[in-house]
Parts: sequence; C-alpha cells; structure tokens
Amino acid sequence: MTHHPPEPPERPKGALVRPFLATDTEPEPEPETPVADSAALRPFLLTAGRVAGQDSIAIETQVVTTEQGRTAAGELGFERRDIVSLCGNPLSVAEIAAELSLHLAVVRVLVGDLSADGHLSVYLPNADASTDVDTLLRVIRGLRAIR
Amino acid sequence: MGSAPSAELGQAARRRPPLPVKIVIAGGFGVGKTTAVGSISEISPLTTEADMTAASLGIDDTTKVPGKRTTTVAMDFGCITIDESLKLYLFGTPGQDRFGFMWDDLAIGAIGALVIVDSRRLDDCYPAVDYFERLGLPFVVAVNRFDGLVAHDLPSIRWALAIDDVIPLITFDARDKLSVRDALLVVLDQALARARAGR
Repeated sequence: MTHHPPEPPERPKGALVRPFLATDTEPEPEPETPVADSAALRPFLLTAGRVAGQDSIAIETQVVTTEQGRTAAGELGFERRDIVSLCGNPLSVAEIAAELSLHLAVVRVLVGDLSADGHLSVYLPNADASTDVDTLLRVIRGLRAIR
Repeated sequence: MGSAPSAELGQAARRRPPLPVKIVIAGGFGVGKTTAVGSISEISPLTTEADMTAASLGIDDTTKVPGKRTTTVAMDFGCITIDESLKLYLFGTPGQDRFGFMWDDLAIGAIGALVIVDSRRLDDCYPAVDYFERLGLPFVVAVNRFDGLVAHDLPSIRWALAIDDVIPLITFDARDKLSVRDALLVVLDQALARARAGR
C-alpha cells in the first residue's frame, strides 16, 4: 500500500518574498502566551476605560515623582500610589509596568493622568537621539567598556 | 514624633533622568532573545504585557489581510547604564514565528535591531527581517551558536535569507556577555554609518 505524505500547508499569499527554505519539519507550535486569562482583572477598569494618549508615551519614557506627587501619594488610589511610590528614582514606563505587573497600556494612561495632575514628571525621549552621531559614539564607548 | 519625609528622596527626585535609547532584539520563538538580553543587562530581564498588532505574512497589501488583530503578549527587556545621563534599553520582541508583527511600539526611535537566528529554523526570522527592511531601521542578523554549532555556513544563510550584502551577518553566543556586547556593537556600527551618511 502506498502512502502519500501529507501535502505541505500552503503558504499564505504574499509570503513568497523569502520562500527559499521550505522547512521539512514543522516547527513546534508556539505556546499561547499565557496572559489571556489574566485579563480576568480587566485592566482597563483601572483607567475607567480610557486608552487615549498612549501613543505619545514611548515605552522607554523616563518618569520621576514630583514633590507634589510624594505629598499626595497617600490620597491616591492603589495603582496610582504604587507608581508614585516607585518613581522616587527615574524609571521607564516599561519598568513600571514590569515592577507593578500592570499592562503597558494601563501604565501609559495612569502615567499620563498622574503627569497631568502634577504628581509625576515625564521626560519624553529625544526622538533624534537614535540618529545622533555623538549619542551613538557614547553608546559605543559604553558598550566597549563592558568586560 | 513622626519624622519628616526623607530628604534623600527629595534629592533623588530632582535628579534629571538619563536619556533613554533602545535596541530591539528580534527573532523567532526560542532563538535566544531573552538569553541575550539577560547576558548583558544589568538587571534580570523584566517582563511586561503589551499589545501587538498581528498580521499575516507578506503584508504589503494590508487591506486584504483578514487576520489582522491586536493581541496581548509578554515582552522581555533589560537595560545597560552607559553613563549617568544615558541608558540603553534592550527590548525583546515577543516570539512569534507564524505571524508578522507590527513592532512599531518597540522599533520607532530605536537605534537599530539585532535579529537573532537559529540556523536550523531560518524562516522563523523572515517576519523580523521583512519588518526592519520595510521600516528602514539599521539591523544585523546574528546566528546564535547553539552548542557551538551553526547548521549552515554563513553564505548559505545569507542566500536563504535573501538579505542584502550590506546587512551584516554574524554568529554569536547569546549566553556570552562579551559575544552579545560585540553583536550590539555591530548594530551600533550600522546605525553610526547611517547617521554619518545623514540617513
């Protein structure tokens, strides 16, 4: 009895850009990112459903608590207080999200609010830094110093 | 008597934060992105949840992509303090081999990208290579030497990936700090050449 191997699955249209290496072994399916169910928390309740303004705060944006924020910390709601307490030293938005186990988008909204209320200073990254020769040379020197 | 709030905190808060710059660490699932970040980062890699826009491969024609959607994914990152006023962040793209992803959130404003490749599963990195080519971000393809082995020689890999001769193709060891440092320096060289040429 002859047995035909199953046809390889069709590549999606448009995927012909780099077709040279058809894999003969199907890569293991990627495990589902195990975050779906943590949505049980409904993270956007924390922001009252607001998602606006998140594009303006890049993930590497540096955040520092202001004097006013420190004074007002006790009166703030849990997550807001956590952020204000955490940012005595400058931290990036990404680090805040990781430290407090909050969704990045939630942190962006909360940081935006806290900044509007004067509790946080937000230092948006300099968009030109990544193409600035002097900055790049400093990064190169810094990396070379790593032993 | 309660003591006054710590004066140290006041000092720290007045310190100007460092200028952040970032490099994207991309590649398929399980190629060693988090390992590479962890080898050189001064903090253990942190994980945060973020939204990514997923789309089918070959997305020149976005209007015909029915599968485009937003998914929440886990993203790993680390950082290196360059000096007191400059901090380098390394953001690992969430590993996805079957889909292209819009990593705009990570890639916009980045110095460049390191695309990590497992030479046994080359096509896992196609989405990353496609994405950075289209975005015009400087990038370097780095073959991770799993157990010191690379399954194909570099010219074959370059041919298979169909990358331009000007794109550096290197091998490195994601577990080795200095090897990761050198790979990042190749990304920096690319970015510097681009910056000097006035983009």
